[in-house]
Formats: sequence, C-alpha cells, structure tokens
Amino acid sequence: MSRRHWVRLDNASNIFLAARSDVDPKVFRMSAETDHEVDPVLLQEALDITYARFPLYHAVLRRGVFWYYLQDSDLHPQVRPDLEPSCAPIYQSDRRTLLFRVLHHRRRISLEVFHALSDGTGALWFLTDLVTVYARLRARALDGTTAQDEEDEARPGSAERPDPAPEAVGTHPGAEAAEEVHELAVDSFAHYFRRRSPPAASPAEHEAEFSREAAPAVLTVQEARQRERSRRQVRAAAGPAAPRPSARRVHRVRGTRTPDFRTRVVELSMPVGPVLALAKREGVALTMYLTAVFFDAVRRSAGDLGAARTMGASVPVNLRQFFPSTSARNFFATIRVEHTFGEGDAAADAVGAIARHLQEEFDAEATPEKLERRLRRLIRVERLPFARIVPRPLKDALLRAINHGTNRGLTVAVSNLGRVTLPEPAESQVGRMLFEVSAVRPQFCAMSHAGQLTLAFTSPFVQTDHVREFARLLSGAGVDVTVAAARTTEEELAEGAP
Amino acid sequence: MRRCPACAVDVEGTWARCPLCRGDLTGEAAPGPRPDVPLRFSRRRVLRALFLVSLGVIALSFLAQLLFRPGPEGIGVLRSLWLGIAALWLVVLMAVRKRRNLAKSIVYLVILVSGVSVYWDYLSGWTAWSLTYEVPILCAASVIGLLVTARVTRMKLEEYLVYSGLTVLLGLTPIVFLALGWVTTPLPSAICGALCVVAVALLLTVRGAAVRHELAQRLHL
Repeated sequence: MSRRHWVRLDNASNIFLAARSDVDPKVFRMSAETDHEVDPVLLQEALDITYARFPLYHAVLRRGVFWYYLQDSDLHPQVRPDLEPSCAPIYQSDRRTLLFRVLHHRRRISLEVFHALSDGTGALWFLTDLVTVYARLRARALDGTTAQDEEDEARPGSAERPDPAPEAVGTHPGAEAAEEVHELAVDSFAHYFRRRSPPAASPAEHEAEFSREAAPAVLTVQEARQRERSRRQVRAAAGPAAPRPSARRVHRVRGTRTPDFRTRVVELSMPVGPVLALAKREGVALTMYLTAVFFDAVRRSAGDLGAARTMGASVPVNLRQFFPSTSARNFFATIRVEHTFGEGDAAADAVGAIARHLQEEFDAEATPEKLERRLRRLIRVERLPFARIVPRPLKDALLRAINHGTNRGLTVAVSNLGRVTLPEPAESQVGRMLFEVSAVRPQFCAMSHAGQLTLAFTSPFVQTDHVREFARLLSGAGVDVTVAAARTTEEELAEGAP
Repeated sequence: MRRCPACAVDVEGTWARCPLCRGDLTGEAAPGPRPDVPLRFSRRRVLRALFLVSLGVIALSFLAQLLFRPGPEGIGVLRSLWLGIAALWLVVLMAVRKRRNLAKSIVYLVILVSGVSVYWDYLSGWTAWSLTYEVPILCAASVIGLLVTARVTRMKLEEYLVYSGLTVLLGLTPIVFLALGWVTTPLPSAICGALCVVAVALLLTVRGAAVRHELAQRLHL
C-alpha cells in the first residue's frame, strides 16, 4: 500500500471553492485551433505523455477538517469529444476525479481546468506541451517515420526561426504588467520545464515532484525573495495595500439567466495589428484599451445608467512576471480599475479618454513595490494562525462573504493572457488560440496567437447586447471582426437543428 | 462565411440570424468551430428542495411526539407506526444522499439510528432497550459491516480508514453505558466493547502508519 502525497490548498485557491455556484463553477477553458480535424488517438497519446510530465495535474481534491487538500492520484485522463457546454463543472465533492479535462471538437483542442488547481498561465504551459507533443506525433504519423522515444529528442530548436520581437505596446510603465508575452520556445521552454520529470521517474521522485508542484505558489516564491532581500538589504515596506474604496454606486449588468445555467460564450476574433494600433494611438496598453471599449459597450447596451454611473473592472496580473516562479498553481493578483461616466464633458467619456484614465489607475497599482506588498500580504494570510484553526466550512462561508462583497464593486472582468508563441512544429499548425472562463458577471478573456487576437466573452446571462456594442465599436474603427457563438437558448438551438 | 451587415462582422457557423443583433445574415454558411450542445436540466434543485422538505417533515414528526403523554397510555401503537415511518424515511434519505461514499453513509446511519432509538425509548417510557440492545448491536454490526463493504466494493484503505476508525470509536461507547449501569443486560455491550477494543488494537498495530498519515492529512492545521 502506498500512502499518497498531499499538499493543502492555499487560501488564494480556496476562494474558488468557496465562490463556485451553479452559475459559475470556476472553470476555465483554453483552446488551440489546428489546421486540420483533430485526431483523437494521437491526442490521447500526446495527453499521456504530457500528463506524465505534469505531476500537479495528477491531483484530486479532498476535504479535511480545516483545509481542502490536493492529493496525488493514479487516475488516467481520457480525451473526450466536446459534448458539454463550455466550462461545465469539474469538481464535485465526494467524487474523486481529476481537476481538468481535455476535449476536442473538429479543429479545436481544448483544455478545461478547475481554477483551484491552476491559473491561466499554469494551464497554458500544459496546453503548450500537449499541443506541441500532438503536433510532433502527427508530423511523424504523416511522415511515416518510426517513433523514437519522445524524451530523448531535443526540444525543438528555433534558431532558424527566431521569434519576432515583441511589438512595443503602450508607453506607460505598467504596460508590461498587462501585456504579457509568452514565448514558449527554446530557452524559455527549457526554463519553464526544466524541473518537470521525465515519464519514467521513480515513484519516490514522482511523489517529491508532486509535493513541490502542488505547493502554494506564494510560498515557492518567498524563499527566493528572502534570499534576494537579505542580499540587497532592502527594508520591508509596512502596511497592507488597502483596496481603494469606491464611494460611488457601481453599475452591475443584469439579465436573464441562461436556461440550464450554462456559460454564454461569444468569441470575437480579429487581426491583432489594427487593434494594437488603436491602443497605441491612444497611448495605452492593449488591455486597458479593450477594457475602455468594454465599459463603453456596457454603457451603450444599458441605455440609461441612472445613479449607478461608475463601472469597475477587475484585471488579474500574473505575478510570475515580477516574482519568478515555475509553480503552475494560482499565482496572480487582481487590480481593480474604474471609471465614472458623466462626470466631465462628452470628451471625458470617449473610449480614448477612458482608456488613458484606466491606464493611469492600473499603472499606479501595477508597480513592483505595490505588487510585492500584495504578495507579502498573501503570504501573511497563508501563515495566519487564525486562518489555520478555522474549520473548513466556516472558512468557506467567510470567503464566500468576502467574495460577495468584492463582486458588488465590479461591473465586468477582463483577463488578458497576452501574446503566445508555441514551439515548432505546433506553431505552424495552430491558428487561433482562445481563453474563456465561467463567469458570474460579463467578462472577456483575451489571448493572441499567430497574429489573431481572440476575445472570448462569457456571461451568466442570455443577453449579448454588450458584445454587439463591443463588436460594432471595433468594426466601426476599421477592425475586421469575426463572431463565433455557442448556441445557448432554446430558440437558437432549435434554429441550429437540421 | 456569413456576414451581418448591421454589425459589420463576419459570423462563423450556420446561424440564420446574427447571434449579436438577431438581424439577417448574408453569404454562405459554413460549419462553426463550436458544437451545438442540447439543453440539459439537472434535477439538483428539485432534489435539494425535496431533501430539505423531507428533513423538515421528519423533524416535525419527532417533535410532535412530545405533545402526547409518554408510555403506552399515550397514543399507543399509533406512535410506533408514525415513528417507524419517519425513521425509515430518514434512513433512506441519508442512504441516498451519501450513496457515493458507502463508508461515510454507514457512520451516518449508526449515529442517526442510535439517536432515533434512544429518543423512541424515551418516548415509550424508558425501559433502556435502546442502550441495552439496539446501540451495541448496531455499533458492532457497523464495524463488521464496514469491513465487509470495503472488501466487497474494493475500497482503497484511505477511503474508509477514517470511517472505520469512527465506527470503532462509536462502538466503544457501550462500554461507558455498561460502566454507568445504564443497561439491563450486560452481554450485548460487553461483546460490542470487546470487539471494538480488538479492532482498535488491530488498527493501531497493523495499520498504525496509515492511520497516522490519514489523521495528519484530515486534521492538518
């Protein structure tokens, strides 16, 4: 009998368990669109290889008296055809199942992850590896060459095909926080994955690996930070970062819930160049430009805002950019930006002006110093004696209340995963990549690959008015927008039936 | 690809009307990148409502007994019928609710049925039949029953260890009844107590490391 390794779930991930509901199961999906119909057999083979490299993904979630914990398992994931609505629930208490699933539909390979396991960046590593292995297996199958040991082969070099330099985005210092560039080729690939074990690792190695990979991300960083701090003799800044209180009434989008509580998904695809140019013309980063367009779209679709003229958006920032960590666990901080309509003249409510205002707010928060203060607060919460002795159900109730309070100050949420580059041969076989997340409020996730920017709008409501306004704002500015939506209402499904 | 002139966007998929503005589309339809997933309604809300209503009815049934005089001079055999139905309902409800975790369901049943029988004994004029026979027999049966269930359903040790420990601990309580002289016939309590002492000893010696690991995990601070 082997005793399984386990790691308790950190407080940051706990929020996803506390806040999940019928409407928002806290699941996100990341997809890659290939240039051919996906071969399920090869995909399964690729999944087996990738799964062995990512000990964290072996985890199942269990409940203790004081904590949830991630426990190693010997389950085997199966690729499945995409037959459920996007972001369908994954974790169910009392059922010991893996916390992710891999799906395929026509040309798309999708990875769905329960948010308590990993965040967007962590999941992107897995999807990148999966798609790369798949592309390599497929290339071999087409060539008819014999399959060698996957692990013996060197990572694909891209010396002959260097990545294009990241395009300059925005002129503000905070731009780098919002505009990520994931270049998962050669060196960075080796950097991210150097600690991943080969599939033939001994059981003891696998267990040690699991414990390390499943450890809370904030705690993996701290050791490194402490060393660095003592070296530099930087004095610790005191005082927690108080979230800016909003005295004004925040507009919240209301609507009709989807019939079976599935997430309403509408994706907009467009070439990234013209949108970047629009953002650059306003002197802001892409994320803040799109957030400003989103605010304007919500205002237009709402008609009259009434007394609730303020809109708030939460924007997650990947902390790995500032505090290097190879942990795939949740490791981000959210920054709240807001804009109040009707305070100045009409020019103040133009998209460009809103974007510049949001960018200022964002830049003020996204400095390394402020983020470090947040990080330290996260670590403190993680080690707080009070947080430890509170029984789990009570902790869940507390976190749910906190989450409810946070939600009241938010109109929308925006998450930008940035520009992604895959290693060859995946890079040339994959077109659009998408990122979408189950939502308790209208939200969009952005991601760009192969020159295509995709914005996946998700919402718990049937109404798509804000997406319509968003699409019209962009197409009005000369951007070629393509819409792809998932049929959600009875009427739409009936229309789609042959 | 189709196009919505009003929104000035291209539309992927076989939409007859624009998914954004419901306006007419022009151009040729091509299959979209997303599957059409039929609506599916889960009965979770209905089941949750039924569960809560059932619990309410059962709790009221038990409370209502206090309105009648205790012992046989109360409502007589009617009480047995009423309590019997309520208890059966409760047992079925719990068994269904905890069906995914048989080990846990056994622990729940021991606690519920013991509680109900002690209350029933009190209502029917306390002759200590519950503490003398019902509780010890139930506890002893649960210890054995859990082991049999685990074996038959090929449960993993980690899945039932905690519950096995709980049934054994519950099985030690009849020794307390015995010591306090709450029982009329000592034999059932003695057998149950002895069985559980042996079980505890076995658990700690044979599965000691596993028990410590599991407890450290469950009670981790």
